[in-house]
Amino acid sequence: MRYITTVDGETFEVEINSESEITVGGRRLQVDFQSVAGQPVYSLILDGQSYEAYVYPSDQGLDVLLLGQLYHIAVEDERQRRLRQASGMQISPSGELHLKAPMPGLIVAIPVIEGQQVNQGQDLVILESMKMQNELKAPREGTVTRVRVKPGDSVEQNQILVTLV
Amino acid sequence: MFSKVLVANRGEIAVRILRACRELGMNTVAVYSEADRSSLHVRYADEAYLLGPAPARESYLRGDKIIEIARRSKAGAIHPGYGFLAERDDFARAVEDAGLVFIGPRASAIAAMGDKAVARATVTAAGVPIVPGTEGEGNLRDEEIIAIAPKIGFPLLIKATAGGGGKGMREVTGPEQMADLLQSARREAESAFGDGNVYLEKLLTNARHIEFQILADSGGNVIHLGERECSLQRRHQKLLEESPSPFIDDELRQRMGEVACTAARAVEYLNAGTIEFLVDADHNFFFLEMNTRLQVEHPVTEMVTGVDIVKEQIRVARGRKLRYSQEDIKLKGSAIECRINAEDPYNNYLPSTGTLNQIIPPTGPGVRVDTGVYPGFEISPYYDSMISKLICWGETRGEAILRMRRALEEYRILGVKTNIPFHQNIMDSHRFMGGQYDTRFVEERFSMDKAEEAKPSRSDIAAIMASLVAHRLSQQASQIVRRGERDTSNWKWVGRWERMNR
Repeated sequence: MRYITTVDGETFEVEINSESEITVGGRRLQVDFQSVAGQPVYSLILDGQSYEAYVYPSDQGLDVLLLGQLYHIAVEDERQRRLRQASGMQISPSGELHLKAPMPGLIVAIPVIEGQQVNQGQDLVILESMKMQNELKAPREGTVTRVRVKPGDSVEQNQILVTLV
Repeated sequence: MFSKVLVANRGEIAVRILRACRELGMNTVAVYSEADRSSLHVRYADEAYLLGPAPARESYLRGDKIIEIARRSKAGAIHPGYGFLAERDDFARAVEDAGLVFIGPRASAIAAMGDKAVARATVTAAGVPIVPGTEGEGNLRDEEIIAIAPKIGFPLLIKATAGGGGKGMREVTGPEQMADLLQSARREAESAFGDGNVYLEKLLTNARHIEFQILADSGGNVIHLGERECSLQRRHQKLLEESPSPFIDDELRQRMGEVACTAARAVEYLNAGTIEFLVDADHNFFFLEMNTRLQVEHPVTEMVTGVDIVKEQIRVARGRKLRYSQEDIKLKGSAIECRINAEDPYNNYLPSTGTLNQIIPPTGPGVRVDTGVYPGFEISPYYDSMISKLICWGETRGEAILRMRRALEEYRILGVKTNIPFHQNIMDSHRFMGGQYDTRFVEERFSMDKAEEAKPSRSDIAAIMASLVAHRLSQQASQIVRRGERDTSNWKWVGRWERMNR
């Protein structure tokens, strides 16, 4: 199986030949790849070099935390790449965007109202959790179409708070 | 004298205090909220009693219930730890009135130092330099504060009178921001401390935050255990502390230490406490505040002095004399503490909640981990986000940094996001290694971006790992599809099979 893997803009071709061998950029390498205790931590022995990293699913693909550095990675097989190239454009910066609660907490204030135009980075919701007040900011500019919570509400993780268009 | 201690706290500090009690042969009583039934402090104590529901207001802040439990369990003393009731003079007084020993300073000293405005007035009278601000003005109304602000000059800080830990604190760069920030500071102070009063203080730029550990006994002996460098902060929350400070020399240490002891004597201080100073680039130092309790970062001092501060607190509370004189205190080597918090350094440091699936703590020479959690523990939104404190000691500061790097790399915490990568980046930062940082370093001159310190990128290895994981995931997905290969439902199939075997 051949994968086209993009790491923060840099592209690698990784071909998985078998459980114990891969080809990267034309070079064949011996691999021994295991998850540590069934967790999203992986141990990799690559031609005798030992590495350990966290690998988490993320919005764009996978996040790899290796030696104190975070890498945002998109992995595509050839079929997926063709599909994407055929469809032309990537996700556009318009469309509905739901601001979700990143953690459970208490709504302290909502400094925006429905219909308001907001800029990227503007505060949308102030959420108190773990005794800290956290400002949740607009990930891009847009118009607030719905405010689904009010100050004093307790919210669960991933609950939709505000919708932008 | 007492031989059973009630620990009126939770988390790592409760565990820390229980350990000291154990080593002194004392019996221990834990108290806990409904959210903490499975916490380590409950399991480690000899006795444990439920306080109430998870919110602190209904559990760890219920001084009346705690005193009642102490009586019922025949504990002779209460150790408040830090936070919660630790700096409440009314609680300390109630404990004494109940005929119990409060392991900490006298209620009068907590009151004098706890009200930051009174504290500033008291130490000024003893000749200790302070940062300009609205000290001694009492509790001001909004209009008065806004009127005084330009006289102090911008930038300035709005601080909660009952404050600590950066809560209820706001930085103001110009007069137009005063009204809004005043409101939000009061709101946060009200919710954190039940007291919305605030005062103003000039913001010193390029300043360092250096504090001195004080120990005092009832015989009037006051000594200091050297300093802790706490300049590495984010939004006024300390993240990393070290001792000794790379910024000050023996001469300055001695002068500051003497001033710290003078400030402590000014309020007839007893037990352990900390005097915080701001030190400017020209080595001028100003009294900031006194913390009348055990500090989160006390282990770095323990590592370089060899003094067990909590045990010393208990001895002093039992009326004993300090085991050390100032001459006995020698700083040996260098220690660094990293606060490991459940927060995501790659997403604006937002707190992360969830269940800790797996924890592999670092061990080995010179490494200490103070924690109150274990695998299977749930990080809840009710309390602060600190998971543990990782402390490393080295013969030199360089060795301590290298050891901390090694320990951070060994540390595995799964289930929540942690700020371990943040600390790893700090340990790799050339400015940190050179000791060139102040209280603004993290916000103004530090970035999690890997290109910053020109570190070698291992994007090739990351790409291989991600590809292998993606490959596994797609294989698992195809196996799930394959499982339902039979053309009839499994129930129907089982029915036929059973009939066939009749």
